[in-house]
Amino acid sequence: MGQIILGVGDYGASNRPGEEVKTFALGSCVSVILLDPKTRTVGMVHVALPEAAINKAKSLQKPGYFADTGIPALLNEMAKFGCQPKGKGMVVKLCGGANVMDTNDTFQIGKRNALSIKKVLWKYGMGAVAEDLGGNFSRTVTVSVDTGEILLSSPGRPNWKL
Amino acid sequence: MTEKVDREKIRRVISSVPLLSASATQLLQTTTDPDHDLQSIVRIVKTDATLTARVLKVVNSAAFGLINEITTLDRAISYLGERLIVGIAIGDCASQLFNKDLQGYEAEHGSLWRHDLRTAIASREVVTQTGADINPDLAFTAGLLHDIGKALISDYLSGTAAEIIAKISAEQTSDYLSAEEEMIGFDHTRAGHELALAWKLPATIAEVIRFHHTPAAAQPEYRSLVYAVHLGDNIAMMGGCGTGADSMHYRLDTEYSEYLHLDSNTLASILLAVNEEFNKLERSFAEAGDTH
Repeated sequence: MGQIILGVGDYGASNRPGEEVKTFALGSCVSVILLDPKTRTVGMVHVALPEAAINKAKSLQKPGYFADTGIPALLNEMAKFGCQPKGKGMVVKLCGGANVMDTNDTFQIGKRNALSIKKVLWKYGMGAVAEDLGGNFSRTVTVSVDTGEILLSSPGRPNWKL
Repeated sequence: MTEKVDREKIRRVISSVPLLSASATQLLQTTTDPDHDLQSIVRIVKTDATLTARVLKVVNSAAFGLINEITTLDRAISYLGERLIVGIAIGDCASQLFNKDLQGYEAEHGSLWRHDLRTAIASREVVTQTGADINPDLAFTAGLLHDIGKALISDYLSGTAAEIIAKISAEQTSDYLSAEEEMIGFDHTRAGHELALAWKLPATIAEVIRFHHTPAAAQPEYRSLVYAVHLGDNIAMMGGCGTGADSMHYRLDTEYSEYLHLDSNTLASILLAVNEEFNKLERSFAEAGDTH
């Protein structure tokens, strides 16, 4: 069975039956998962930071790093699979965005990532129907193209679905 | 019922792992001395044929993208910088520990090495990007060794991860470190400190290993470095490179702000830099035929 593995700042999509889209060990990063029921396409971007303003050059080279450039990049990618380019009709799910214990404002990158992602989604009129955000544990995420099912895992915990 | 661990048991475990090579020990001692020069590093590496070969392999790996091959040790060392030379030396002789399968932490194979490498890079970035008066190469080396104690106690922790996580979630214990102590009577910072003593590591590095989760308890003269590695460790975990079940289950000591000036933009920039550097270094070590 094929797998598309996404690293930090990567985005990708698939409509190939039997395939999975996967990202390993989200810490403070957030994975935005877009499911398009019409074309049966699954897309994911592994966002590391809230805003591209921190490093414009990097955002051009690797837009998936940032919430505000990563989501448009993923929508563009999914348009190649025949999806509506503004995300109309897509189902949105979010996971990741963990924080270290006893965090302060500076270190709440996970929370800021999630907020920034939601802001960008609102601009498209999109909102998450399900989310598994926050906490203080890392998450590995696998999405099945066939079923759109999202499987989460974290060492020391039983797997769970979103 | 888990088996309890005491100092004697840890010392027996330590006696079964290979010692650091003479060249690695010398490199650690020399690079901790603030007055050393690059030539002293070259002289140490030259006495060790295996290390020399490995250094040349790493510098000429595709990850560094050099157009012309570097064939002399002097050039290789000045190109890579002393932190990578120390990293290669330690990675080689402690590979048995770095590459141990840490079942006690339910960790993927190689994840201790990846976590330590990422912490090393992050600790150095914390120092350079906050402008702290700390030797950045020393922060790298200390970051590389900070969690070595996990390899010593992992076997004793077998089968405890789920219970520890449940206890932390229910706030029955403070964090993974205190849970290790409760479960087996010993935590990875104390185990690592025993190894630091056995290996005669420089006092600064021993202090980082012992107090990287409780930096306020470190000796005042080492405290800013210990805080830098404390942040480096947390940044590595935030970047998805923890060790295993323990990842992100430690407490951030926000008193770091007394020693390091870090705002959210600087932290974001550190996270980016760490990711880039980590990808490059992990690749260069792998291409050089390292088993890590």
